Amino acid sequence: MADLTVDLGRGLRLRSPIMVASGTFGYGFDAPQVDHGSLGAIVSKGTTLRAREGNAPIRIAETPSGMLNAIGLQNPGVDHVVRAYAPQWATWDLPVIVNVAGDSVDEYVAVARRLNGVEGVAGLELNISCPNVESGLQFGVDPTLAAEVTRAVRAATALPLIVKLTPNVTDIVAIARAVEDAGADAVSAINTYVGMAIDVRRRRPMISRQSGGLSGPAIKPLALHAVWQVAAAVHIPVIGVGGIMTPADALEFLLAGAAAVQLGTVNYVRPQAAAEILEGITGYLALHDLPDVRALPIRSASVLTHV
Amino acid sequence: MTIALAPGKVVERSIPMAGAIELTVHHPPSARAGVPGQFFQLEVKAPQTILRRPYSAAWTDPATGRLGFIFNVVGAGSAWLSGLDEGDELELLGPLGNGFDLEGDRPAICVAGGLGIAVFPGVVQALIARGRTVVVLEGARTAAQLLPASRFPDADVRVATDDGSAGHRGSAVDLVSNLLHNRAQLPPPFTGEGQGGRIDILSCGPTPMLRALIAAARRHDIPLATIQVALETPMGCGIGTCLGCAAPRSGGGYVLTCQEGPCVRGDRIDWDQMTDAFHG
Repeated sequence: MADLTVDLGRGLRLRSPIMVASGTFGYGFDAPQVDHGSLGAIVSKGTTLRAREGNAPIRIAETPSGMLNAIGLQNPGVDHVVRAYAPQWATWDLPVIVNVAGDSVDEYVAVARRLNGVEGVAGLELNISCPNVESGLQFGVDPTLAAEVTRAVRAATALPLIVKLTPNVTDIVAIARAVEDAGADAVSAINTYVGMAIDVRRRRPMISRQSGGLSGPAIKPLALHAVWQVAAAVHIPVIGVGGIMTPADALEFLLAGAAAVQLGTVNYVRPQAAAEILEGITGYLALHDLPDVRALPIRSASVLTHV
Repeated sequence: MTIALAPGKVVERSIPMAGAIELTVHHPPSARAGVPGQFFQLEVKAPQTILRRPYSAAWTDPATGRLGFIFNVVGAGSAWLSGLDEGDELELLGPLGNGFDLEGDRPAICVAGGLGIAVFPGVVQALIARGRTVVVLEGARTAAQLLPASRFPDADVRVATDDGSAGHRGSAVDLVSNLLHNRAQLPPPFTGEGQGGRIDILSCGPTPMLRALIAAARRHDIPLATIQVALETPMGCGIGTCLGCAAPRSGGGYVLTCQEGPCVRGDRIDWDQMTDAFHG
């Protein structure tokens, strides 16, 4: 059988290229229907220094082939995560990566420090791309600030560090390069697109915060293009995220140059998706007589220098 | 929590009242598990839709392995579900969340507005099975949109319609207010001194109706802790991962409808902050 393992750097090796995206899987305890055996890693809900209540309802709305969310980083705070969740993660044979969010460089650093060396925490994903809180996007849209927060967190932790990029920028490649230079081990591309929907009958935005982050198949071609661009621009692994529902969707991202993929919205709909997608990738590798997922990108190693 | 992913099969499609559809689904694991008021996430395959649709079971029958869903068409998802017919498969995830607390021996008033009646056939049956006296107060726009009283054998069913075509002209909340104002209109257990003459109120309906019910309860000094409501909020996953179905918690923060609800005590919600929402 083909080799399905993925190396995200700094010792973070996954047994499968399928991860679950931050914010779509809680802290790994709420979806007993999902077969952990198919997953390479879980990425937790965005976690901040102190507990946050999140945004006032209404927080979600379905849109054509997608959904908007504006949850607002509701989470129990990093101390609770370290005390209540990490000890359980430590007993799993599945790495859990904590998505780290904050309002300031100091907050990101404080959360990263608190998680450093905690058993059960396999890595960090730096969330500089949340569109649903006051300062969520501030760091993700400016290469200088993105690099600054990445560098500061890099210095505060020995853990593998993934930076999750926002697509709500003019030039995602510039941000990707900046965080690579600042010490990121990998990047996730992408977080949600800012969008909105209006309730025509009630004459008001569907979501109480007016705008929200758009996810689902509606954004898949956009996400794929971002991954295609970023994969050719950086020397670190790119994790493809955005609207993946089927094995073919996941393969598109891997063919575009992603080292792994994250499933997001599909987790709300089809708990069996991870297993189906892994089976699809395995079958595809066999069909094309490919030895491993690293052989999937359709552009040569001279273009994709991290492969 | 029993979670079943194998699809059920639609064994009957009927029209329980004007403007509504009732699907009877054969799915023994779902029919066996659960408490009235819990919900299922139904998979819909309508073009351009993504999310499952949450529906409380109208009733379950473990003996035959069947359960029923009563709903109306409000958007693409419910339209797709309404097109299912005998023999079609339906994938359902559940039962999820918390149902009504049916324990105790106090008499119960079930208050339903519009399609809120859809949860009560199973609830009323379970209350009656516990030996409790039950009054059902059902409100609809017009007589044809009332779920027939024959669906609530052994309960005292009273109706209200917006147009006065059946029963009281007005709402189900009017009926509650009238009864609370003049308890002599209620069957004996409601007026007796056993249990301090207290009653339980169970309600399901649009958010403005629930808010009106809470206001009526306050006017009549009914403790909100004796009222249970089935919340309706937009919902994503149904299992507590997306955090999308938040409802404002009394005292601050949020209740997740899918985990703490959908059935919650009336004193758990900050009704001033509770928003009514679009449902597709």
